[in-house]
Amino acid sequence: MSEHVDLQEFIGAFVIEAEDLVSAANASLLEIEAAIAEGTSRPRAVRDLFRALHTIKGLAGMIGVEPIVAIAHALETLVGAADRSGGSLRHVAAEIALQGVGAISDRVRAVAEHRVVAEPPDGLIAAITSTEVAAAAPIMTTAIPPAWEARLSSSERQQLALALQTRAPVWTLAFCPSEANAARGITITTVRAGLGATGEIVKIIPRSITATDGKPGVAFDILIVSNATQLAIAEIASTDPDQVIAMVQPAPPPVRAGRELEVTDPLDPIEHDQPGSTPGRAVVRVELARLDDLQDQLSLLIVSRFRLEHEIASLRELGHDVRRLQEVVRIQGRQLRDLRRAILRARMVRVAEVLEPLPLLVHSLARSGQRLVQLEIEARDVELDKAVADRLLPALIHLVRNAVDHGIEPPEQRVAAGKPRTGTVAVSCLEVAANYIEVVVRDDGRGIDRAEVARRANRPIADDVALLNVLASPGFSTRDVATTTSGRGLGMDIVHRIAVDDLGGEISMTTSPGAGTAFTLRVPITISVMDVVSFQCGPQAFVVPALVVEEIIEVVPEISSRSLVACRGHAIPMVSLGAILAIDSGARARKALVVRRNGAATAFAVDRVIGRQEVVIRTIDDPLVDVLGIAGTTDLGDGHPTLVLDLNELGLIARERSVPS
Amino acid sequence: MTLHVTFRVGSVDYALPAAQVLHLESFQAATHVPGAPAHVAGLVQVRGRIVPVVDLRTRFGLPPIERTIDHRVVIVQVGTRVVGLLVDSAREVLQLDEAEFERPPEMPEMPETGERHRSGFVTAAAMVAKRLFLRVDVARIIGEEPSHASH
Repeated sequence: MSEHVDLQEFIGAFVIEAEDLVSAANASLLEIEAAIAEGTSRPRAVRDLFRALHTIKGLAGMIGVEPIVAIAHALETLVGAADRSGGSLRHVAAEIALQGVGAISDRVRAVAEHRVVAEPPDGLIAAITSTEVAAAAPIMTTAIPPAWEARLSSSERQQLALALQTRAPVWTLAFCPSEANAARGITITTVRAGLGATGEIVKIIPRSITATDGKPGVAFDILIVSNATQLAIAEIASTDPDQVIAMVQPAPPPVRAGRELEVTDPLDPIEHDQPGSTPGRAVVRVELARLDDLQDQLSLLIVSRFRLEHEIASLRELGHDVRRLQEVVRIQGRQLRDLRRAILRARMVRVAEVLEPLPLLVHSLARSGQRLVQLEIEARDVELDKAVADRLLPALIHLVRNAVDHGIEPPEQRVAAGKPRTGTVAVSCLEVAANYIEVVVRDDGRGIDRAEVARRANRPIADDVALLNVLASPGFSTRDVATTTSGRGLGMDIVHRIAVDDLGGEISMTTSPGAGTAFTLRVPITISVMDVVSFQCGPQAFVVPALVVEEIIEVVPEISSRSLVACRGHAIPMVSLGAILAIDSGARARKALVVRRNGAATAFAVDRVIGRQEVVIRTIDDPLVDVLGIAGTTDLGDGHPTLVLDLNELGLIARERSVPS
Repeated sequence: MTLHVTFRVGSVDYALPAAQVLHLESFQAATHVPGAPAHVAGLVQVRGRIVPVVDLRTRFGLPPIERTIDHRVVIVQVGTRVVGLLVDSAREVLQLDEAEFERPPEMPEMPETGERHRSGFVTAAAMVAKRLFLRVDVARIIGEEPSHASH
């Protein structure tokens, strides 16, 4: 059992890690393609790409996902060859690599969704292995100091030459770990991170030294391209500024701290040059389920606080002075609210991260649709719940896809219309009042032809609102032929469903012929999804999380008249939910939901069980409806809010008041 | 002159600066929230948002009446809170002169009950074209204090 759990956790960790690596690989590839377009190369990006692929291969191998291993291996070979031959990749090789990374990404998804992982697409491996790296590397003529030249790989040499050629500041220095440094928290890791933040580290080479006290030690020679000042670099590496040497012309050999011994680095530099060394905000990645767990624990705390309040009230009735106790409970209440907010914050992701797949999407759409498109993203520091982000992204992908496929005209048409050759798709995101964000997807394309849509829909369309309604009706299409990317139809019904039904938000649109279209989605920052049991109690429907319901039992009328009911051979107390909620239920209870808390079961009698479904839970935080026992609302599809009950809280209330069934 | 949304509860006309009002909605039904204060009519979903609705008749101590098609929910924003006010009708948007509003020397009597208006809700009154408009303190009506007492 525990092994099973471990494997599940490991797969979760694999997916998180692999998704990161895939997006890093895509980012590198885009950078490489941009460089190819400019006729230059990015040796650093090629090396990053190689590292990402190498790590993906290793991770996939550990959990035995062979198709990913096979693709990653082929790509690694291709990119590794490019890295060794100077770090430039031919256009065709970059294209095939993009396809390969796409295929890996699909398979990582499959792992995440517990689906069968498909074999590599037909011919992909063959296409990768037969691709000529033939990186006709631009020859760099700039001299590299001989002391370093021998120690650099060809791609590093290229990187350094490029920096020298562009007169970027190149520095050499040495870092000597010592006890004094370690005590101040300065290690090679912090130095690497600190220097990495100021620029690009070309190479770090460890070597053995004999320190002044005669003991053997290690020093690191560092070669870095950085805009930081000599003083700043020295500070980071905890070294004398004089020993941070600018490599403008062939420079003297790097500083030696002690007698040099012959040493070969046993590790391939690629292996220990950590890709994650870019510093910034310290980040821990956590599975969402763990945060959900935290939230569950918090609700238990809130319940026990309620009991505490109740006990204090009893004490007061007995004539005790409870003012100080009340003060403590009041403070605790505030702390619990703060805790709840903090947990909510922990679920937040930056919108900028959520939008990361879009550049790649636009890139490939523009290529296959022969459009010239630039994507502008503005998200500042807006954050939203991971659960919202995961739902929102497909809607944004639809909108961006529509913008590129149907909005942006071919370059010749744009020029003929007096527009810039390159079209623009802009995605902007800002936080609006009261826990909502607004995402706008705007293009400067041809706009939507209202008359044409009206003709197809066979009804008049008065304005943009009516136009959106028609576009969002299922299956509506403005195209006769399905395109490979958008399929038949604009998919606006899907966007509408996500934004309005799934997320409880709004969608609006403005379009003007020849000038472009803008869609605005307004969605809540946070939601949570739960498997619930829905039931009728009195005139109202309610839901409770399915997790808390241990069993649903029939209520035999004769027994239900008492406050005990038989469940699996045990008599358990039964309370009437209608009575607790003070809802007048004319109907006689037919079912009861059995809930167990701390081993003690309670049956809640309800009129009728409706069913089980997955719904989006929305918290209600207005003080007017901040009531014990009510955890939030959901929409069962009738457009009216349905209350989500917390049976554990209600059970406590029942016990305190000894509500009869 | 400032744009005001006017509405009627009982036989009294009220005016709210339009800047406080997000929109007006017709009213079918609200989801009853057991345990909430009596003047909370329930929750409604308005343009994707879950909004608590305060029944102003109950809040003002008036007896309930049959729901009619004239009933409206005035959606107001107070700080970050968005709350609906259930009113008997809301038909007009009027330009009213801010200067006309004065703090009444004495609370006007509720015509239906003969009682004085519950203290604190009315902040000012204005006579416009022989009609009396009261301005109410919305923040006070939607009271910040939650009630756990009524279970």
